[in-house]
Amino acid sequence: MMSLPFVLFACAIGAAWMRQRGVSLGFWLVGLVTMLILFRVHVSEVLSIQL
Amino acid sequence: MSTELSRLLNALGLIAIGAILTMAFIDQVWFGELPCPLCILQRAGLIAAGCGIALNIVFGPKPSHYGVAIIGAIASAAISMRQILQHIVPGTGFYGPPVWGLHLYTWAFLFAVAIVLGCGLMLLGDRQFSQVQPISGRLKGLPFIALLLFLVLTLANVFSTLALCGTGLCPDEPVDYELFELND
Repeated sequence: MMSLPFVLFACAIGAAWMRQRGVSLGFWLVGLVTMLILFRVHVSEVLSIQL
Repeated sequence: MSTELSRLLNALGLIAIGAILTMAFIDQVWFGELPCPLCILQRAGLIAAGCGIALNIVFGPKPSHYGVAIIGAIASAAISMRQILQHIVPGTGFYGPPVWGLHLYTWAFLFAVAIVLGCGLMLLGDRQFSQVQPISGRLKGLPFIALLLFLVLTLANVFSTLALCGTGLCPDEPVDYELFELND
């Protein structure tokens, strides 16, 4: 599951290479959202930065 | 700034991101420092930023492509900052050894800020956007090398992450490659 953003970004680069700008931007956006969801999943605990 | 100069500078920028990803790989493979989940996501953020630069190389410079790069870099910076804050209080430990005095997540934050700054500077060159840029045939030279290197490194991250974490989420402090453990 953690490799999913990389797969989607690789698809975005591949689509750009094939001159499919809209498709590339679509893959990039889905990749970004996936990355942020994974970020949220991995940082469930509250930060403890009281000095 | 002409379109051609802009494309060349974008190619150099993409090579710089490629160099950072390569160094992360060297640290992982050569020195055996397995990346944590947030470290992997920071790499993904840098690749997200690189996608915007790659679009500039293929389709010519557009403000929207720089926007893609800036959004990706900000996402990467946010993830790095979360990890920096996690370890900022004395006694809360750290992840991985420092490199030239800073931990890799701190370097990742600085690189992300540098990408935002670089895009901001590039956006100052209005002339690159005013020239009509027909989509030429095949890429060649430095832009081609930069794009190929970037694609190869992105695919390498797919396989590396799959080997490290398998098909699920990554452990907080990985000690071995999960894919190879399954085969033992």
